[in-house]
Amino acid sequence: MSVPVSQMWAVASYVLRQKLAGRKRYPLVLMLEPLFRCNLACAGCGKIQYPAHILKRHLSVEQCLRAVDECGAPIVSIPGGEPLMYPEIGPLVRALVARRTYVYLCTNAILLKDKLDEGLFEPSKYLSFSVHMDGLREEHDEAVCRDGVYDQAREAIRAALRRGFRVTTNSTLFDGVSPLRMRQFFDEMMDLGVEGMMISPGYSYSKAPDQEHFLRRRRANELFSAILDKPRRRWRFNQSPLFLRFLMGKQDFECTPWGNPTYNMFGWQRPCYLLQEGYAATFRELMEETAWDQYGRRSGNPKCRDCMVHCGYEPSAVDHTFGSWRGFRDTVVATVTSRL
Amino acid sequence: MSAEPESTLEGWAPEIHDTAHLAELIDLAFDYRGDVTLTPIHGAVLTGYLYNRNRAVPEPFVQVFDGTGGSHTFRYAEIRAIAFTGKDTAAGKSWEAWRQRKAESAAKPGA
Repeated sequence: MSVPVSQMWAVASYVLRQKLAGRKRYPLVLMLEPLFRCNLACAGCGKIQYPAHILKRHLSVEQCLRAVDECGAPIVSIPGGEPLMYPEIGPLVRALVARRTYVYLCTNAILLKDKLDEGLFEPSKYLSFSVHMDGLREEHDEAVCRDGVYDQAREAIRAALRRGFRVTTNSTLFDGVSPLRMRQFFDEMMDLGVEGMMISPGYSYSKAPDQEHFLRRRRANELFSAILDKPRRRWRFNQSPLFLRFLMGKQDFECTPWGNPTYNMFGWQRPCYLLQEGYAATFRELMEETAWDQYGRRSGNPKCRDCMVHCGYEPSAVDHTFGSWRGFRDTVVATVTSRL
Repeated sequence: MSAEPESTLEGWAPEIHDTAHLAELIDLAFDYRGDVTLTPIHGAVLTGYLYNRNRAVPEPFVQVFDGTGGSHTFRYAEIRAIAFTGKDTAAGKSWEAWRQRKAESAAKPGA
């Protein structure tokens, strides 16, 4: 685990407050999508297929901050679309950092070096660039359907680290990925000096162009077991070790679809970051009027059957950590020993 | 529901048989990643992106963004026709196109 102590404390104290207040459902990370526009068209992405007039739209900073206040989660993740194409990204990040909200700006990093040169951001413990990297050069460029993006991202990571920014990576793994190559990728990211890595299996978006390479549950367990077997001590993951154990099939969780609520120009997305079954006008309406029992593996919903994505299961892992002594002990042991 | 094409709904202008059929069509329109043209029983025809629908409320409704960003709400009961008039932006083949370009590039002499 590579999450800074202050961030860990912010999350731990927040979760404990929710537990003490007896809240059964609480958000952990707000997924704030200010726009859907992107400068890539990745094969596994179902987020950007919209008419031009929708792609031209974006949320205002005020709308974003209102959503942050409504939600109250200690962490805000800004995906998209490509958030560096959002014209108000500088003011939005500054406002969030001023509120001491931990921000993960999820970017493909194509524009990152230019934005850093423009002085759009200042280093802060509250701001982390979460750079999309789906593997080594060959795998990443294939996943994003454009040659040269891996090298651009690597240069941007170097530039951000040189300037003192926190940088993490996020990797979506699809069927056919080589465990050995992924282990080499982890080594390469550590050599680059990133703070930590995040990994997750892909989700089979019905709108994604590539429908053949999404992982099914057992195959995902086998793949992640091979990738994370005897993890090197130098590998640092910016996510719960219990979630990694879940990916390996060593731990079982049920989905927490409300854990990473999503807000975008359509409203609060029901029920989760991946499924679009409708939109609520307010966060309260999302939490109180969504038929949560219709989602997650136990519900029998076929859309949820094979999903193991971090946005549903990482909140489950975090809740388990703070919901039982055993969960807390397992997390501490895995964190201290780096054993999964 | 027999007239819908297999691959994309683009260009489809179905007739609405009854309220159950209307609800099914609205679900398809909600899932459609292109603009639709909505004909209300009263008022002007609207073309835009149908971004939300809710039938779990006493008066089910849809919400549509028009081309200039205005949001419009219609109750199901107000809708006379829906046509899938805009380009289906999810019907692309970028993965296949990418793989084909890569293969062609690799097959070129000197590659």
